[in-house]
This record gives sequence, C-alpha cells and structure tokens, in this order.
Amino acid sequence: MAQVVLQDVVKNYGALPVVHAINLDIAHGEFVVLVGPSGCGKSTTLRMIAGLEEISGGRVRIGDRVVNDLPPRDRNISMVFQNYALYPHMTVRENLGFSLYIAKRPKAEIERAVDQAAEILSLTPLLDRKPGQLSGGQRQRVAMGRAIVRHPDVFLFDEPLSNLDAKLRTQMRVEIKRLHQKVGTTIIYVTHDQIEAMTLADRIVIMRDGHIVQIGTPLEVFERPVNAFVATFIGSPPMNLLPATVRSGGLRLADGTVIPLPPGLTAREGQAVQFGVRADNIMPEGHSMPPTAHMALVEMPVTLTEPLGTETLLFATLAGTEVQAKMLNPRPVRTGEVLRFGIALDKCHLFDADTGASLRV
Amino acid sequence: MDVRRQHRLRRRLLTAAHFIGLFLAMSIICLPGLWVVLNSFRPTVEIMAKPPVWIPTELNLDHYRAMFGGIGEGGVPVLTYFWNSLVISLTSTVIALLVGMAGGYAFARYRIPGKSAIFVGLMVTRAVPGVALSLPLFILYGRLGIIDTHFGMILVYVALNVPFTIWLIDGFFRQVPKELAEAAEIDGCTRWQAFWKVEFPVARAGIASAGIFAFLTSWNEYALASQLTRSLNSKTMPVGLMDFTSQFTLNWGGMCALAVLMILPALVLTFLVQKHLIAGLTFGGVKG
Amino acid sequence: MYRMRLPPWLVLLMPAFVILLAVVAIPLVLSLYSSFTAFQLTRPETITRWIGTFNYEKAIGDANFWAAFGRTVLLLTVALNLEMLLGLGLALMVAKVTHGQRLLRTIMMFPMMFSPILVGFQFKFIFNDNVGLLNNALQSLGLTDVAIPWLVDGNLAFIAIVTAEVWTSTSVFAILILAGLFAIPQDPVEAARVDGCTPWQTFRYVTLPFLMPFIYIAMAIRSLDVARAYDIVQVMTAGGPARRTELLWTLIGRTGYVDARMGYANAMGYIAILLSIAFTVHFFRKLSSARTSLGMGD
Ligand SMILES: Nc1ncnc2c1ncn2[C@@H]1O[C@H](COP(=O)(O)OP(=O)(O)OP(=O)(O)O)[C@@H](O)[C@H]1O
Ligand SMILES: [Mg+2]
Repeated sequence: MAQVVLQDVVKNYGALPVVHAINLDIAHGEFVVLVGPSGCGKSTTLRMIAGLEEISGGRVRIGDRVVNDLPPRDRNISMVFQNYALYPHMTVRENLGFSLYIAKRPKAEIERAVDQAAEILSLTPLLDRKPGQLSGGQRQRVAMGRAIVRHPDVFLFDEPLSNLDAKLRTQMRVEIKRLHQKVGTTIIYVTHDQIEAMTLADRIVIMRDGHIVQIGTPLEVFERPVNAFVATFIGSPPMNLLPATVRSGGLRLADGTVIPLPPGLTAREGQAVQFGVRADNIMPEGHSMPPTAHMALVEMPVTLTEPLGTETLLFATLAGTEVQAKMLNPRPVRTGEVLRFGIALDKCHLFDADTGASLRV
Repeated sequence: MDVRRQHRLRRRLLTAAHFIGLFLAMSIICLPGLWVVLNSFRPTVEIMAKPPVWIPTELNLDHYRAMFGGIGEGGVPVLTYFWNSLVISLTSTVIALLVGMAGGYAFARYRIPGKSAIFVGLMVTRAVPGVALSLPLFILYGRLGIIDTHFGMILVYVALNVPFTIWLIDGFFRQVPKELAEAAEIDGCTRWQAFWKVEFPVARAGIASAGIFAFLTSWNEYALASQLTRSLNSKTMPVGLMDFTSQFTLNWGGMCALAVLMILPALVLTFLVQKHLIAGLTFGGVKG
Repeated sequence: MYRMRLPPWLVLLMPAFVILLAVVAIPLVLSLYSSFTAFQLTRPETITRWIGTFNYEKAIGDANFWAAFGRTVLLLTVALNLEMLLGLGLALMVAKVTHGQRLLRTIMMFPMMFSPILVGFQFKFIFNDNVGLLNNALQSLGLTDVAIPWLVDGNLAFIAIVTAEVWTSTSVFAILILAGLFAIPQDPVEAARVDGCTPWQTFRYVTLPFLMPFIYIAMAIRSLDVARAYDIVQVMTAGGPARRTELLWTLIGRTGYVDARMGYANAMGYIAILLSIAFTVHFFRKLSSARTSLGMGD
C-alpha cells in the first residue's frame, strides 16, 4: 500500500503537449478513477505512473520515493491492460506466476500464490490452458489474477472492461470492487464509462484535453459539477442544457419562456447562461417525485419515448431544444402528446455561456 | 538518490555501447563492398602494390574504359551481358510473381486437402542444390535445344523463385481478412474484381518484397547460369565475371568495374521498394 | 454435357505445379535414373549401362565423400547459427535507432545485392596471402610480419569461407528478424516490464518467444538457399587445397563436369538433396511448433 502523488506532471510528444502540469494526491488504499473523453490523456497519465512513458516534467511519487527515473520493475506496481496483454506462449498458470518467477521466489510460494489467485477469480479449471483457448471474460480474469499475485503497492487499470459485453462488465465491476475491499491496495483506474467511474470510485478525476477539470467523490461531481463539461459527462442520460439569459431575477429561454432563477446561484442581469437540469428533475405531473419548495411548470410536446420498465424516458422539446425527462410509474404516452412537466429548481444548475463555469456558490 | 544516479549512468553506458556496436557492424557490412567500388577506380599496379598503398594516389576510369572497349583490348561485351541479365531477371520475376500470386492465393483462401504436405513439397523443390539440378537440366535442355537461350534461363529462374514467392504471398493474403473481399463482392464486384480492387492492393507490400527477392536471386545466380549459358546469346553478368579470369591470372580491377555495374541496379531497385520490404516480410510469422 | 471441373485451388496452383514439374521434378527423375547407370558425359551411350546401386555403394564407401559430407554439415551448422546470432544482434541494434533508420536498413541489406560468385572473388582477394586486404592490414598495423596463408591452410580456409558466407547472409536474418521485431505486439512487452522484468528478462521471456517464428522462417529460407555457398567456395578454394575445404557441392560439380562421371555425381547429388531437404523440413517443423506455442497455428 502506498500513496501516489503527482506534482505538476507534464507529458509532451515532441512539441505537442498532451498532459499539462497536473496535480493529484492519492491516499493509501484509495480507489481513484480517471475519466474523460477519448484522447484526453488518461492512458498517458497512467503509463507515466507505471513508468512505461517518460515523464517530460514534474514529479511522480509512489510511497516516499520519487519514481521519475525508476524503471517499471522497481516501482512495485501491477497493471491490467485494455487488451489484457497476456503472454500467448505461456499457460494460464505460467502467466499468473510469471512475475514471482522473475523475482526468483521459491517454487512452493509461487504455487500457493497462483492457486490462491486462481481461487479468487475462479480460474482453477483453466490453469493449464493457453490464453488463445480462453474467452474474453476469462482472459480478463487472468489479467487481473496476474496483477494480484504480486501484492503490489499500487494497481493500475487501463480500461480493463471495455472489451467485455454488458453483462460480464457488470459482473467484473463487482469483482473488482470486492477485490479492492479485500486487499485494500491503492487503485488507479482509467475508464471512459461514467457508470464504471461512479460505481467504483472513492474519488473521480475528470480530465479533458490534458487538464484535470474536477476531482471529487462520485456524489460531489454528480451534484456539484464545476462546469458544463463535467455536468454533461457525468450522469446518464446527460444533463439537459438550455441556452438562456438572466432577466429581472428570472431565466428567459430562447422562445421567451421565463423560468424563475433557481436558488443559490449568482448571475448578473443580462448574462448569457446555460440552464442545466437532469432528466431526474424534470417529471410530468402525476408521475413524479413529491414536489419540492421551488418548482417551475412548463408544457412540452413529447417527441419520443424510451420505456425502461420501472420508468420511461421522455424526449420533449422546450424552447426549440430537445430535453430528456423521466416518467415514474409510466403510462403509455403518444408522440405529440403535450404534457405538463415540473422542474425541481433547487436541483438545477447554471453555467456561464462563454466559460462554461458553474455559477453555483 | 543513489539508485537514480546508478540508473542514469547505466542508461548512458548502454547508449554509448549501442552507438559503437552499430558503427562497427555497419563498417563491417560496408567495407568489403566499398572496397570493391574503390578498386574499380584504381590502377591495377596500385591494387597489387606491395607494400600496400592505403591512400589511393590515383583514381581513374581505366577499368571502365577497358571494359566498354573493343573485344581483344581487354574489353568484355558487358552491354550484352547486362541486357541478357535484365531481360532474364525481369521476365522471370514477373512470371514468378504471377504464378506465385495464383498459388499463394490458393493456399491462403481455399481448403486444400493435405495442405501442409503440398506446401512443404513445393518449398523443398527450392532446396535442391543448383549443382545437383544443373547436371540433369543440362542434359534435358541439350535434348530440347534450349541451352543458351533466354527462354531456357527464364524457365529455370521462374521455377527457382516460385516456391518462395508462393510462401511470401500466401502469408500476406492471410493477413488480408476474407471479409474484405466478401464485402467487395456484396458491393457488386465479381470475384475477379474483388481480388484486383481490394485484396491485391492490400497485399502489395508482400508482393513487392517477394519481387525483390526473386529479382535479386535471378540477377545474382551463377551455378545454373554457368552451365546453361554458353555465348553472348544468353550469358548473364555473374557468368561474365569469369571473363576476367584466365588460367592463372585474374583482372581484379576490371572485375570490380563489372561488379559495380551489377550492384547498381540491384541497389536502386531495393532502395525503391525498401519501404514495403519490412512490412512485406512479416508474412507468416504471426499467422501460420 | 459432360464437363470436368477441377477445384479452383488446383487451377490456381496448376502453373506452379507444371513449372516445378518441368524444371525440377523431371530432371530429378532423370538424374535418379542416371545415378543407377555408369553414365559419362563424354560417352552418351553409357546412359543405358545399368549398374544398380553401384554408385551409391561407391559413395558410401568413399572416405572423401564422407569428409565432404561432414564438412558440409559443419559449415551449415556453424554458418547458420552465427548468422542467426549476428542477425539478431544487428536487428536489435537497428530497431532501437529512431533517426535515420531507413538508411541503416538499406545499408544492412547491402550484402544481399552481391552475387555469391562476386562475394567469392571479393573474399578471395581479401584473404589473399600476398596482396589481400586482411594481411595488408595486419602487417601495416604490425600485428604480424608473416603472410598468413588464409586460403591455403585447411582450418584457416574454413574460417575464411565461413566469414564470406556469414557476411553475405547475415542480412537475410537481420531483415527478417527486424520485420519480426516490428510485428511484436507491445502490450505483453509492457506487461513484462511492469511485472518486474529487467530488459534482459523481457527479451528472454517475451520478445524472443515472439521472434522464434521469424528466426525459423529465416532459417528455412537460408536452408532453401544454402547451396549458394557453392559459388563462394568454388571461387575461393574450389574445394582445395588438396580437398581440405571440399564440400558436397564442389565434389559433385567436379565429379560431374571435370571428371565427366555423371552417374556417380548424380548419386552423390541425391544424397546432397536429401541432406538439404532434411534441413528444410526440420526448420518448417520448428516453425510450425513455434507458431503453435504462440497460439497462432492454423
Ligand atoms: N506516441 C504518440 N505520439 C504523439 N501523440 C500521442 C502519442 N500517444 C498518444 N498521443 C496523443 O496523446 C493524447 C492522449 O492519449 P491517451 O492515450 O492518453 O488518451 P486516452 O485518454 O487514454 O484516450 P482513450 O480513452 O481513447 O484511450 C491523444 O491526443 C493522442 O493522440
Ligand atoms: Mg487510453
């Protein structure tokens, strides 16, 4: 177990900067998830921590050592790769025991560690197969097993579940969480699946274009996104954003509809803003949560429905913009039907139209 | 920090060793060749001087002049040899590629009973040493009257190159997914069009490297050519080298001049296709 | 209407079969037949003189033949292994270079452009005891003051021949291994580094197993081509002095063309062919098992 600290870490490919001076403190035993859109520098950051990528500037500390110049083997880390990176010429048993074999551990110890890891991941019947004879999910488990036999200081995961089907993915997610609870090792986990991020993380680090945009617990980033980017990136379906202008204490939408200004927000008169509201906070009357103190009522025509079972997702048009809303205890809805929706204003957000920064105090 | 300093030092030492190693290796590779080029410009007395002359005092084109000069004045019909070599090598390369493409495609795309036996059987024909083959071929060609003809040489070289060409091209077509051609057929191509429009361009690198190997083999072959060619009709440059030897002496400078003439086209050609070469050679390594 | 339909693969392979049949198989049948006769090139009628396995028995009882056979196997073993090791080293060094790699790769292939016959002459001159480059250099540097008889002493001549052979053919290994290095997936290599491997261990346990198929391909290609050494040896020593560098191929060539005893030469030729085939089949076997162990077999 160890803490991991990134101080002003920079990565340039030639003249092209892809990671800009990021700072990150990860505590002992913490589960941190890096998320962000494709190409934002998540893998690069992870690979710098692993030592697979040279660090162009700044410092990386693992435990109490600065590891900038240490090769990967001296950092005592394990990594699970997106494409598993199993050794195709070795059996599952050899794959699992390889790092211990390299470390010249006694045979009996290797055997014990391999059996134990195989037990945890239910790989025991597959031990004598080669990776080519395994299914995707089984390979994934071998890759995880290879990481856990070593008892490293830090686990690094680079999108380990992205090649699995939805069901296996859910299953493995639970498996990883359980693993973390059992071994308590620091984990740094890269994904661009925000559900994975929300369910697994102690803290989420959201990156964009080589910068860290926000760091916080899953609830913090969900409830208090620092800008419009985080607001749309975290949460599913993505937060609805409607262009608006602040006019005499209210929000004037593109078609002239006026909504009262949500409480706890600071906005200048005349400021161009984006009004953000999640689908969970727009619900048709009679199919919603109990109303709260600050509600706004709007009428919208429904253009599309997506029944999900316990609820139905409604697509409707408000002031020329498509918004998504949720209907609890659903009843069938015809397209074109106009419904009255309640917006829970105290759950809404306001972002500056130019900078995207949140206007919540 | 001590570990860090140690690592830096190690890395620096390794870099230096790498550089020196490369330099030495490249020198050893280049020197014998450059030495040939140098000798083609030096007068024979200087080449043979004892004690040796290390720094050339005189460079001239005498050997080239003599080589292109008339027969009898030390001249050798190099242009004829060059022409023979070029016709024989190019034609046989093109034919070997066509035959090899058909065969390689068959191996890559069809289920063939006893495939690996047929495959190794084809390869083994290449393993027959030239001397062992030249004896019976000589007799056979004599009977057919195709000794000392372009046709005869082209035939031999096609046979020599076909196995390896099939192997290379087979490996390459295998890396081109079957679905690619199938998609093209669904898009309205005939099988034939699908091959030329889709599979062939993708496998081009493999075909280029097969072509280079075939050309170099034919261009440089000696054992068979020395038996199956007799005269200006079909004598190739490697056989022509022998014109510079007599029972007891050897005109080394002149030979070097012809050698330069032999190497140049090969060098130019290799340089031109070298971009494809590495990609073309990954054939079959990753997939059986 | 009756129409015979050949399977398409057979149609596609037909040209290859026909050409190889005409140029390789038929002559070989002919030579197989003549190896059972007392055929002499100068007297064509002798081709009908059937003498059974006499030529083979003679070869098997001939000490010179076995000396040449042993020397050929030794040359192949030494040369192929040396070429493999040097080619591997060269490829690894070139693969590490980032700037100017194209140039290095072209230089690396330089020897492939030299005709083996030319290589023979070239090294005959380099190793010439009187005016050769090597002795000149050694003498100028003061390392020796006698002329070392490179091509006259049997062992030295063997070394000289191996040197020439290695110089020409290391490129083939280097270029194929380089191609292999580029084809290696990076993930397992990185995984090994994270798993705690030193660079050497990464090479030994991950890179090398991936390279094995490429090494065997190079071996197979070289063993297909190995008789090219005939040209080199023929020029450098012609099997001499006094048969001390005699290889199977020079022995066959001399027996067939100089002594005109075709039947006997063909009998020895057959034994040489079997030797080549054995090498080739061996390496193809190795190749397919190396692939299978990577889980890439057919
Ligand atoms: N070798 C390289 N040379 C130049 N640019 C590179 C190189 N490797 C990566 N990049 C660039 O660096 C940026 C960050 O890449 P990185 O792999 O870290 O993205 P990522 O966040 O992991 O994305 P994904 O979710 O798609 O895996 C990308 O814009 C990529 O184009
Ligand atoms: Mg990535």
